[in-house]
Amino acid sequence: MAILGESGAGKSTLLGLLAGLDAPSSGELNLFGESLAALDEDGRAQLRSGRVGFVFQNFQLLPTLTALENVLLPLELAPAADNDARARDWLSRVGLGERLDHLPKQLSGGEQQRVALARAFVTGAELVFADEPTGNLDPATGERIIDRLFALNREAGTTLMLVTHDHAVARRCDRCLRLTDGQLVDMAHEEVSA
Amino acid sequence: MMASGDSRREPRQKHNGLHWLGLAARGLKRDLRAADVRALFVALALAVAASTMIGFFLDRLERGLTRQAGQMLGGDLVLEQGEPFSNELKQTLREAGMTLSDQVDLVSMISRGERFQPASLKVVDSAYPLYGASQVDVGSGVEALSRGPAPGEAWVDPRLESLIELELGDEVQVGRATLTVSGIIEREADQSGGFSSFNPRLMMHVDDLPATGLVQPGSRVEYEILAAGPPEAVSSLDALLESLEREGVEVRDVRVDRPGLGSALERAEKYLALAGLAAVLLAGVAVAMATRRYVDRHLDTAALLRCFGASQRQLTQLFALQLGWLALAASVCGALLGLAGQAGLLALLTAFLPLELPPPGPLPLALGVLTALAVLVGFAGPTLLRLKRVSALKVLRRELDPLPASAWLVVAMASLVFGGLMWLYSGDLGLSAALLGGGLVMLVILGGVGSVMLSAVLRLAALLPQGSHSASPTRALRLGARQLGRRRQASLGQLLAFSITFAAMAMIALVRGDLLTAWQDQLPEDTPNYFAINIQPQERDAFVETLAGAVDERTSLYPMVRGRITALNGQPPQEAVPESGRGDNALRRELNLTWRDSLPEGNRLVAGEWFEQGAGGSSAEPSVSKSASASDTVPISLEDELAGRLGLSLGDTMRFTIGAASVTGRITSLRDLDWDSFRPNFYVIFPPGVLERFGHTYITAFHLGDDQSPLPGQIVENFPAVSLLNVEAILGQVRDLLTQVTRSVELVLGFVLLAGISVLYAALIASRPLRAHESGLLRVFGAGDRLISRVQGAEFAILGLASGLMGALLAELAAAGIYAGWLDLAPRLHPWLWLGLPLGGALLVGLIGHGLSRDLRRQTPMASLGLLGEA
Repeated sequence: MAILGESGAGKSTLLGLLAGLDAPSSGELNLFGESLAALDEDGRAQLRSGRVGFVFQNFQLLPTLTALENVLLPLELAPAADNDARARDWLSRVGLGERLDHLPKQLSGGEQQRVALARAFVTGAELVFADEPTGNLDPATGERIIDRLFALNREAGTTLMLVTHDHAVARRCDRCLRLTDGQLVDMAHEEVSA
Repeated sequence: MMASGDSRREPRQKHNGLHWLGLAARGLKRDLRAADVRALFVALALAVAASTMIGFFLDRLERGLTRQAGQMLGGDLVLEQGEPFSNELKQTLREAGMTLSDQVDLVSMISRGERFQPASLKVVDSAYPLYGASQVDVGSGVEALSRGPAPGEAWVDPRLESLIELELGDEVQVGRATLTVSGIIEREADQSGGFSSFNPRLMMHVDDLPATGLVQPGSRVEYEILAAGPPEAVSSLDALLESLEREGVEVRDVRVDRPGLGSALERAEKYLALAGLAAVLLAGVAVAMATRRYVDRHLDTAALLRCFGASQRQLTQLFALQLGWLALAASVCGALLGLAGQAGLLALLTAFLPLELPPPGPLPLALGVLTALAVLVGFAGPTLLRLKRVSALKVLRRELDPLPASAWLVVAMASLVFGGLMWLYSGDLGLSAALLGGGLVMLVILGGVGSVMLSAVLRLAALLPQGSHSASPTRALRLGARQLGRRRQASLGQLLAFSITFAAMAMIALVRGDLLTAWQDQLPEDTPNYFAINIQPQERDAFVETLAGAVDERTSLYPMVRGRITALNGQPPQEAVPESGRGDNALRRELNLTWRDSLPEGNRLVAGEWFEQGAGGSSAEPSVSKSASASDTVPISLEDELAGRLGLSLGDTMRFTIGAASVTGRITSLRDLDWDSFRPNFYVIFPPGVLERFGHTYITAFHLGDDQSPLPGQIVENFPAVSLLNVEAILGQVRDLLTQVTRSVELVLGFVLLAGISVLYAALIASRPLRAHESGLLRVFGAGDRLISRVQGAEFAILGLASGLMGALLAELAAAGIYAGWLDLAPRLHPWLWLGLPLGGALLVGLIGHGLSRDLRRQTPMASLGLLGEA
């Protein structure tokens, strides 16, 4: 599903609310069947734990951690013997099997976003939020990242919620909503491409 | 919004503690690449190193110095009386854990052929000496021997060689026994024996004593028990010692006797404790500064972890464990460093410490680890809590940083912990509370002064000319000052941290200098090395004439009359004094009284007035009577500390019994005097005209610089009744001791300086990203390398200069407080500090800061601007 909107329309705010990163001041919001309003910040964090993945516009990789360590980060919240193998596997899937020990600053923007993709899917998340995942990339790299994101999404059987202002990206989603003046409008594909 | 899929993992809920320990350890390992973590590590390791080193060192030093003093005394405890000691008493002492050596002192005539000479006999057993070794020439050069002469043998003073031509291998007649001279004594292991040792020494074995027939009923013999043992054993005997003293046994205790050693040692220990605390405080400041950077750098990690589902508790746990690991690693390194440091100290002190020191105990180690944890909790805790308050939303909105911990909370927590550590180290709650309170008041004042100073710097900088070219020094100064002013809070924080650092470093250096000066003043080059006693009144003028020209003009002869205190304010002394003063030696012994018309050198009036001319009257008649009455009193001057112990003050009266007569004096002045001075000192001084009628002798002390001087020989020859004591050996031992203590003090100072530099490092590391950002911006606006380099240099130098000024103020105040309240030294101003500290500060901060920013200046503006908030 894609959420389209102009810059400043509140797309990221909406994504933050949907993922339970922020609490709504009014209204009702359910995630995995639980009302977010009834949960405090710790409760919402617990709900996300291992079930939600994120891809950010600015990658949000920790600069002191290697690619492998960055992917391991969400896994480390829970003990498991296969964490390391799992992280390596996902980095290979995004084509970075040879660059495990590189620090973010030693990777290109596209490579950094691929590390972020591996990190989003490595926990076996049921739901992945992507906030302008190509916003910091050149068009060609951006397109390759989107291709990979959709492929991984299919492979893992995950629900993908994508926030973007790029109509071409939005077009590739099953469903598309537009955020204008605080209103979310369901759009047909024809509308998106228009 | 449900999702479907196959490779799902089970939702993860409960995690065990081991997992978190491992996770924290892994996180720390990755983090070791970061400068702030290294700064934290260094600061914590230094705190532990300083506290363990000083802990180990003080522990060992105390034992070593006590033993050294014991060596001079002949044991930790010396009992002396005119008759043999009972076996029962010896048994009690042994059971308490003491090792004993019996000694007998007597003066007797010895002879070789037709030549006779009075000698001071020291009769020792096989256990002699308990500590140290004697330097004895046994024919094959001087050797250090830790034994006495064997039965049938005698060791003699080299003076006997000239006096009765006694040489090695000769036979000497001691009473009815004949002994063979097997050693010439260069230096005795102990200097005990007191005033009986004015005559040349002959040392012999106790087994030979009966054969001499010298010990007869009525002969003047002093029996001594020298006892050595651990401090606990000596302390356990306190009650016994008190009762022995009441029975008339003279007790010399290493803990109370030898005030020269005592005060030097006490000050050294206090200094070390102070230096240790200063090092811990500085390390704490460094930890606080490095933690700020650590937390700033981990805000993103915390936000991401929140995003991935970590709870606040888990975050707290994770980062606390991470720093816990760091503290543990730092403790191990610090403790090793502390162990090495104390081994270094030990190496410095080898010549002087007894060899068989007990190994380092576990207590200082435990104290070191405790210190690291306490410093971490106190100085990093509140700042660290900021991490748990990070919102997950920060991943989408970078500006959503949690508020920094309140400065008051940080200071309060740090003060609380530091106060606790002070209490732990000093064992003195009142002192710790006072220091802490004073410190906090100073901090508030410093904050105000710092704020004013920053404004002044800004104003001054605005007055500077623009400069002719773009990178001119004045322009750099203007820009540097403005940068400081722009981030006022951060600058103020650094200013305070640097001021405290400089103040602590300067204070420790100041105190060291003043301690050394005090020690040197205490035993200057011309400290008397000869004592002459028993100078008869009719010999006085001739003696003064003999000394004239050969010794210092200030050398004076003091008349000495022995008298016992028999009443205080008309009451028996035991009833008149406070309970704590009842056991005072001054009440049990005869005191040496003297008279004088002027205040003796080294004495200082602390209350009342010195005698007016003719205060004692031209005749002693009115004030001396067979039964004194309160009305005919004479003025007297009393030593201040004794007055305190006996509960006496100006106007009180003291009655002295001298022979069959009594004299009553009214206290008209109190004097402070230096017991460590190696000069004759008197508790009670009368005005001239009172004591002259009593039998008296004179005493003097003088310095003789020339070993070859014929003076001692002349004195011995012309004044046979005068006893001349050469105290050069004792003086030498005390000087050695002070030199050793000085060296150890310097080593500890080195640690404090290191801790200070760690603060500078941590503070500069913490402000790196901000500076990178600023230099990036300057570059974007077209500033060249040279200007940026100069602006940074100017900024650091201004910061260092201002901190140095404030540090000087703080150091002077703190040192004055410590001198007056703790070290018992006279406070003094240190003008050079006001120049040296600001200039040194400007140079030090300028150089370190400039050096640490070098790589920032090499970065492209893109990298510099992107660096903010990252490693």
